[in-house]
Amino acid sequence: MRPENYEAQRHPPSNEFELNFGPNHPGIEGNYALKVKLHGDVVVEAKADGGYLHRGFEKLMEQRLWIQNIALVPRICVPDPSPMEVCYAMAVEELCGLEVPQRAQWLRVMQLELSRIAAHLFTFGGHAATTGMYSTMYWGVADRDLILDLFEEFTGGRVYSIYNIPGGVRRELPDGFLQRISETLDYIESRLPDYDNLFFKNQVFVKRAKGTGVMSQEQALAWGVTGPNLRATGLAFDVRRDDPYLVYDQLDFEIPTEAHGDAWSRTLVRRLELVESIRILRQVVAALPDIAGPIRAPIPNPLAWNVPAGEVYTRVESSKGELCYFVVSDGGPKPYRVHVRGPSSMHAVQVLEKMSVGSRIEDIAQTMFSLDACPPEVDR
Amino acid sequence: MNSINKIPVIEEKRTNPLARVFDEFVRFCRSRSLFILHYCTGCGAIELPPAMTSRFDMERLGIQPMVSPRQADILLITGYVSIKTLKRVILTYEQMGSPKYVIGICSCTVNGGMYWQSYATAKKLDEYMPVDLYIAGCMPRPEAVLAGLQKLMDRIHSGEANSWEDYFRNYDYYLGNQQKLFGENWQTPTDIITEAKHYDLIGEGTLGKHTQILEQHQKPLEALDMRLGHDLKEPTE
Repeated sequence: MRPENYEAQRHPPSNEFELNFGPNHPGIEGNYALKVKLHGDVVVEAKADGGYLHRGFEKLMEQRLWIQNIALVPRICVPDPSPMEVCYAMAVEELCGLEVPQRAQWLRVMQLELSRIAAHLFTFGGHAATTGMYSTMYWGVADRDLILDLFEEFTGGRVYSIYNIPGGVRRELPDGFLQRISETLDYIESRLPDYDNLFFKNQVFVKRAKGTGVMSQEQALAWGVTGPNLRATGLAFDVRRDDPYLVYDQLDFEIPTEAHGDAWSRTLVRRLELVESIRILRQVVAALPDIAGPIRAPIPNPLAWNVPAGEVYTRVESSKGELCYFVVSDGGPKPYRVHVRGPSSMHAVQVLEKMSVGSRIEDIAQTMFSLDACPPEVDR
Repeated sequence: MNSINKIPVIEEKRTNPLARVFDEFVRFCRSRSLFILHYCTGCGAIELPPAMTSRFDMERLGIQPMVSPRQADILLITGYVSIKTLKRVILTYEQMGSPKYVIGICSCTVNGGMYWQSYATAKKLDEYMPVDLYIAGCMPRPEAVLAGLQKLMDRIHSGEANSWEDYFRNYDYYLGNQQKLFGENWQTPTDIITEAKHYDLIGEGTLGKHTQILEQHQKPLEALDMRLGHDLKEPTE
């Protein structure tokens, strides 16, 4: 984060010094930077500096057809792309009044929960690496790869699946896929005690994470914090339960919460969510053979598709928090305006700036990873 | 001004009959110990952790991530580069010690990819810095990344991967494109022309009208007085 034209800045003499933290820094999640003012090794002021990953999504989407945007939206959040396409597809369906077939809704739930497990495993890996425990990172990324294999099998893409279209999903499950998904779930569940011993009960991690980056419930609500970070402050709010979409109201799952709102609680909430996601997936696997029917509602010619005028706001629970789309249509072949309300823009900018103050320089990376901020989604 | 206008032939200087053997040995060693700069510029970076960790295990090829540009050999451009990132990428590239290699991963580095119409991204990477190898795909699988790195190793071993010389020989072209994008007062603290003289790599395209513009704008970097010395007073209020 060097200044643009490299003019040396003269500051009055002081005991504070500035440190440019990122974008080329292993403690930063992705391509993101912080400008930190330090007194000794205590942070006095932190300033977020984004925009390294800005691609102008909201403008790009206005220039493409409704159906083309499906391929574009997963790119907004790279570690957890599935909720993006589901949320956008839901918005278009609501504008058109399309009824999504029951089987497609179950398949979407399966995709979303698989994506949640993959994203959480990836976050643990990154978080463990910031505290110097690289084994957890190696394990987490390797286990996430098993889920990516499942994605590849039933959607065709490892990371960006582009499985949804407005009106349903693109393809039927391959033969014997439910068996394979059960085996992978069994394996990941059998690995969880190992993760506990290696990472979650590890005193190196526990002592560093407890009391780091604390926020109270009032602060969290005032700052617009959602998702696991909000649940770590004790408020059991989850869009899946409180504003159910797809078939989440037919599923049985719990909302894990923790009380303290520090890095430790946030990580623990994600760890408990893994169990719940596995539980949801087991129910989906048990229910899917009995749900027959089409996977796609008929849509008009997608290349000449004028979506009725109107505006709509849809939201889903991604692994990072509450993800919303505000879509406006003027009745034309392209969206008039799309606004993405991503969870990470709150977490990585205001919350991180405020929570870093008073912590030590080595805890910034940990705070950022415990917030699970996703820089591509901040910049969009 | 274009005084040192010659392309050096390294073999002429070598009088030792074992020089070729040494060169071969050096290239072999160089290709087996590569450090990738740990800079995730875009979405393609998500496929690097799988490629580095247990499953695909890049380390068995002798390739490891490295955190500082001064010690890194490979600059991986993983995906689209926004204009703000591109400035940092160029600065990072110029800081890396030669020989250095650039790999463009994902379609976005080749021709803009998904973001061909975006106002915020640079479309073709090789207009701004020489690229050794492209790995196309959105995004390429870890196997493809590994295959690309092996290809690069082969090219280093056979002595073909010398795009870094191109940056010195055609500095004017790259600087011109950078100036077109960032404005005429674009400059980095590294001095490429002096470095080119050091490596004896001044070519026909090293100096030109764009380097003249650079000379007009370039201010020598002043050393900052970092001492907390006598003039530091305790706050009196």
